[in-house]
Amino acid sequence: MSDALLQRQATLLEHLTSSRAIFGEDDLSRPWLGMDRSLLHLEARFSHEKRMAKIKAILPRTLDHLGSAHEAIVRDFAAVCPSTGIGRLENARQFYDFLLARWQQEAPQPPHLPDLAAFEIAYAAVQRSASESPQVVPDALPGAVRRHPAVVLLRTDYDIRPILEQESTEAAPQPGEVCLALTIPAGAKEPVVQALLPELFALLDLLDDFTPRETFADMPHADAMIEDFTAGGLIEVRP
Amino acid sequence: MVAGAISSAASPSPSIGIGYRYGIDGWIRANLSRFDVLEITLDHCLAANSLARDAIFDLVGQIPLTAHGIGLSIGTEVPLDLAYVDAIASLLDCLGAPAYSEHLAFTRVPGRDLGNLLPLPRTHAVAESVIAKIKAVQSRISVPFLLENITYVFDWPDNELTDAEFLTLICRETDAGLLLDLENLYLNASNHGFDTRAFLDALPAGLVREIHLAGGKTISEPFLSRPLLVDTHSYPVPEEALTLLDRTLARQTPFSIILERDDRLDARDEILADVAAIRARVGHGASTLLSQSFSKQNLDGPGKPGHGAARPL
Repeated sequence: MSDALLQRQATLLEHLTSSRAIFGEDDLSRPWLGMDRSLLHLEARFSHEKRMAKIKAILPRTLDHLGSAHEAIVRDFAAVCPSTGIGRLENARQFYDFLLARWQQEAPQPPHLPDLAAFEIAYAAVQRSASESPQVVPDALPGAVRRHPAVVLLRTDYDIRPILEQESTEAAPQPGEVCLALTIPAGAKEPVVQALLPELFALLDLLDDFTPRETFADMPHADAMIEDFTAGGLIEVRP
Repeated sequence: MVAGAISSAASPSPSIGIGYRYGIDGWIRANLSRFDVLEITLDHCLAANSLARDAIFDLVGQIPLTAHGIGLSIGTEVPLDLAYVDAIASLLDCLGAPAYSEHLAFTRVPGRDLGNLLPLPRTHAVAESVIAKIKAVQSRISVPFLLENITYVFDWPDNELTDAEFLTLICRETDAGLLLDLENLYLNASNHGFDTRAFLDALPAGLVREIHLAGGKTISEPFLSRPLLVDTHSYPVPEEALTLLDRTLARQTPFSIILERDDRLDARDEILADVAAIRARVGHGASTLLSQSFSKQNLDGPGKPGHGAARPL
């Protein structure tokens, strides 16, 4: 192995993932380490566009709702978050984490954007887990129930459902807590999103581990609820 | 029977097919009879959820499958990711693929991954390093390893070898075959000003085991001294690449020719027209190289995951 070659490769990738190379901020007529800087700019731009296309595939509405700040935000993201992997979800998570950090410093605009981004990340994660075999827990009692491992629970501060149901960015979500559960039924390609009553959401949230059926004995309509949740793919019943 | 460009009436022609994409799985299945072979991108399989993986494994036994990789980054000057290579080896067995191809390129260094294929300095020292890593890969997989030429926008300043010399040297020292991407050859020759004939003539007869074809587009920018052709896998195969196919088949006997398409996948007529154009250039006998091997596999037993016996051609 040659440290010299690795160093050259690392230097090249550092340049190709820099915002000055991506956005062509240098004098492109001057060579860079003996290479044509304009061609390196093109390579950097292509790679950045490819990466943003991956992110857009996971966070389409979030990117649309960035509005006039879109360009500046993407430019800042490119400057501080070089890609560390080729996966769509991996790059989207990187962008989401970048947005979360940014929203610590400045209020998100529009204010429902964190909910929308969290929802799109959760949706992709559930889709990614489609039909993964649930873990077998041998010591759980037959009939015990737990939240299905593929379910993602999401509590939002705005009701973003109008956005999810429309293609346009015109919908204005109203403030108000909404409890959502995302899951993907066996054999389905797309996740199902269900709005839950806060009490049921809280109950599902507690069911990380298999819980004996008797625990719910005092709850009215517990059997019907468990049946509904099971049919909806929200809980798993130990056979 | 129409005699092929390279095949006598008695010898089989290359199998012709497309790169499998899960996004058009239904269409591919509905048109399976139009293809002799499908190319599976192993990294798509590794990253897929189980639905997509099942869809790919369901093709085993229905049509011959070849295996292609995009995630090895064999040119990065760090030790190989052996866990990745072993995952690839396992998939190859499941698919019953006759070979495994990867790019002569690098895409990442520790901590950064560009997600795009980048050229290597074409030097003897770099060739030596790649040769060692190919041998390591070969020791862990059960089928022949093929190396693919990439297209590159920029080039290193300290090259000692031409593209053909670099590829030939590495393939000769490793017994690897060549997956010749003719679109990449056409683009590189056009963008970097070298002669495609000299490139093809420099390849030893029999070195090319697979061929890729695709269609790209032309980029014009104020900061570029001239328009550049880029490989986007999104448009019909240009006539220039098909002409290179004619010339290649005069000296080489690839076992498959794969049309790559990653964008504008709704333009299905274009995909079928490209496949038809390739068939017209090749001519097509009653059997293909892969269908002969495939029939033998099916006689020997099912090629389902976990049972597929990979049979090098």
